[in-house]
Amino acid sequence: MDEAIVDYALDYAQGKKVDYAEVRGQSQVQDRLMLRNGMLEAYVSGVDSGFCVRIIANGGIGFASTNKWSKEEAKEIVDLAFKYAKGAKRKDKLVFAKEKGFKTKWVVDQKKKIENVSPEERISALSEVDKALASCGVKVPATMSQCSIDLTTKYFVNSEGSRISSFVPKIGAFIFITVAEQGKTEQAYEQFGYSGGWEAFHEWDIPERMIHNAKVLRDVITKAKAVKAGDMDLICGSEVTGIAAHESCGHPMEADRILGREMSQAGRSFIYKGGKYWIGTRIGSNVVTVVDDPTIEHSYGYYPYDDEGVKARRRFLYKNGVINEFLQNRESAAKLGTTSNGSSRSVNYDREAIVRMANTFVLPGELSEEELIGDVKHGIYMKSFTEWNIDDKRFNQRYVGREAYVIENGELKHPVARPVIETTTLKFWTAVDAVSRKVEFDAATCGKGDPGQGIPVYTGGPCIRLRSVFVK
Amino acid sequence: MTDILNKTEEIVTKAKKLGADEVVAKTTIGKYRQVRFSNNQVDITVAWDDYVTDVALAWKKRVVATQIHDFKDIDASIKQLLGLAKVSAENPMFGGFANGKFRYPKSNADSKLEDLDSPTELVSEAISAAKKEIGPKIDSGGILFTKFEDVYLVSSEGPVGFDSRSAIELSIRAFAEQEASGHGVECSSTLKGFKPARAGTKAGEIAKLARNPKTGDDGAYDVIFDPLILGSSLGVWGGMVSAFNVMIQMSVFVDKIGKKVAPEIVTLKDNPAAYSMSNRVFDDEGVPTKENVFIDKGVLKTYLHNASTAKMFKTKTTGNAGLVAPNPWNIEMEAGDMSKDELFGEVKKGLYLTNTWYTRFQNYAKGDFSTIPRDGIFLVEKGEIKKSLKDLRVSDNALTMLGNIAAISKERQHVHWWAEADPPSLSPYVLIKNVHMTKSK
Repeated sequence: MDEAIVDYALDYAQGKKVDYAEVRGQSQVQDRLMLRNGMLEAYVSGVDSGFCVRIIANGGIGFASTNKWSKEEAKEIVDLAFKYAKGAKRKDKLVFAKEKGFKTKWVVDQKKKIENVSPEERISALSEVDKALASCGVKVPATMSQCSIDLTTKYFVNSEGSRISSFVPKIGAFIFITVAEQGKTEQAYEQFGYSGGWEAFHEWDIPERMIHNAKVLRDVITKAKAVKAGDMDLICGSEVTGIAAHESCGHPMEADRILGREMSQAGRSFIYKGGKYWIGTRIGSNVVTVVDDPTIEHSYGYYPYDDEGVKARRRFLYKNGVINEFLQNRESAAKLGTTSNGSSRSVNYDREAIVRMANTFVLPGELSEEELIGDVKHGIYMKSFTEWNIDDKRFNQRYVGREAYVIENGELKHPVARPVIETTTLKFWTAVDAVSRKVEFDAATCGKGDPGQGIPVYTGGPCIRLRSVFVK
Repeated sequence: MTDILNKTEEIVTKAKKLGADEVVAKTTIGKYRQVRFSNNQVDITVAWDDYVTDVALAWKKRVVATQIHDFKDIDASIKQLLGLAKVSAENPMFGGFANGKFRYPKSNADSKLEDLDSPTELVSEAISAAKKEIGPKIDSGGILFTKFEDVYLVSSEGPVGFDSRSAIELSIRAFAEQEASGHGVECSSTLKGFKPARAGTKAGEIAKLARNPKTGDDGAYDVIFDPLILGSSLGVWGGMVSAFNVMIQMSVFVDKIGKKVAPEIVTLKDNPAAYSMSNRVFDDEGVPTKENVFIDKGVLKTYLHNASTAKMFKTKTTGNAGLVAPNPWNIEMEAGDMSKDELFGEVKKGLYLTNTWYTRFQNYAKGDFSTIPRDGIFLVEKGEIKKSLKDLRVSDNALTMLGNIAAISKERQHVHWWAEADPPSLSPYVLIKNVHMTKSK
């Protein structure tokens, strides 16, 4: 990456009648390997590098990017972004919320540098998953395993004095398995992610996790009983808690969605101006506090400064069951008369930064998992999920259990096949009466934006107990 | 043009010299424009200018790929890629890249889309059309996207080709009330064939009908699928005939070649024809693309292949090669013999769904899934729209639904929307019997 060209582009932009200008250079070393049934299907490796310009002029925003690193190209994209900004012809002029500029440099440390891990070692490590599954005593006729590595260097400058350089190594893995027993199949996948070095790959212990999944799926086929539908208590494991926090708290609290900017793609929110829900409205019980926090070191969604150069911090989205704070970037914050809370992210140099989550999770309580289960007379423990979705106002959601058990008189009993909770955001979070003390995280790729910007996040939380909800 | 082709060829020649067995290089020079709007105003206008060479090479059945973004980097990139192949692992199932010399038809790409630098007026046309339906209280948002690509492909196995690909699409969602919305799309490979007002009118018409929605009842319904929501289903079925998805069991069509998977009225094809947003004259191995009927009168005829998967399945490539796996380009459902009105007339009591999102599977091999309709959901009685509904979910099975198609309209629309109705398709109105709907409790 040529930082001088980034600086040049900003200088050139500032020579025009702009209200604001920023330039973001980004270089990404990407490495993807994929195994099918233990065999290397493809190894894709390369560097993607370019820079973008975003300009506010005459109340409009223009954005242009290129992967050609030259001063001539810099001038061209600045001219284009400036032309687009001026041509927006908006009735209400766009501005950004005022923020402090920063001059800083940040990097994520690696214990074992990814750059020093040979391709052979990466392939071999991923192959261990298939080897383990082959000898675990469960019939696994199909697997697909992927390992991804991204080494991202960024240089962000803006017309308000920000100069921020960063380097983030990220490692990810995705495993999909099919289990066959008695002529039937079941499927599961797991995703792993970490900001840091290769040390994470071994800490995940993917072979053991996938053996566990294979056995769970076998038991779903051979031992699990159907759920007798009705009202009952439901314990959600951290994986289920995490997806619910992400889908029915994180997404509806994105301010751009609330303002309608994502209306035709990712949708709107049940929270909107003049509606039933706004900051200060109760949405859950008082034991429910959901936060989004980019500052957790080595998390998949880690960053100390966002892609608008704003310092990141923990955001309390639902606080003791009450809607507390939206996720904001500078554009949405200005519209809502507040300041950004550092939620602006972009996946690459050719994508505008938009409001995103980082690591969204439920804060822990004081009980143990056993204490949560021990106080359930009749219910279900949904430890993990398979199919899930939520409507585009983020109110009607559905989670289908992957690993799940019946609870009778405070004890875990037999597995149950595909229990389903299909309920509203209000009912889900209001039904929570207890939260366990151990928080766990899962990696995920959050989708939003057009063109799509799949972005790394953690979802997570402790176990939570929902009283008297309908499970089928 | 010759210069870029020569540089692309140079990559192939250098890789061969360094010891690669087979090499394919594809250079794409792309110009992309987008206008995003919401609250009836432009939020941002975006330009991407990009060039990239995708290189895939095989060395002793080790397949590796990279992207080169600067021709100055050719030597280093190829050396590095071949080095990677040499320390990589063998894929004994790799059957080689496609070979042969081919002639390709001339591309019909529309150069007007290359020169369309400020397409904001097209957005205004769509908003105005929606406003005509809804009135001044309209709230609308969406995107306009244009693409113009020059694509140069050289393969060590024979294929050499040039293609220009153009596309324009508009997606507009219009709200008549907070919970009354409609979605319209307009897609074309040429500016001449692009009518943004059509999308605006459709979004507005649906939004207007969707006012005052009431929560629907769960249960099994006969359901009319609008072309836009059917586009999502066509994407699911079309994706599941990719041979790669069949191999990893992310498909309901495993071991079903030659078997009846749908009623006789159903014929599905993949066809990146001239009208389509994903028009192309060759695939990523340089094989000429063509129409592939994969479900013929209800019978599964073929999977979609690249050269390597075709070898595994003892058949011929269908011209669907992507960089790694075969993909559908543009799915067509053959038109039926009923008008849209006649098709509605078939429904005594049922639903009309206009759009959906968030389709997720419990098990791709079995096909159990759910998806959440959005925008207008309507109760239909005796062929007439009686009531606007909300908060319903389709919770069913992909294979069962394919088998329960009862009627197909003559009218078809070219649709594409975000990642939900993707890839593009030529999609009719369809009546599917006994679709299971669920709701929150």
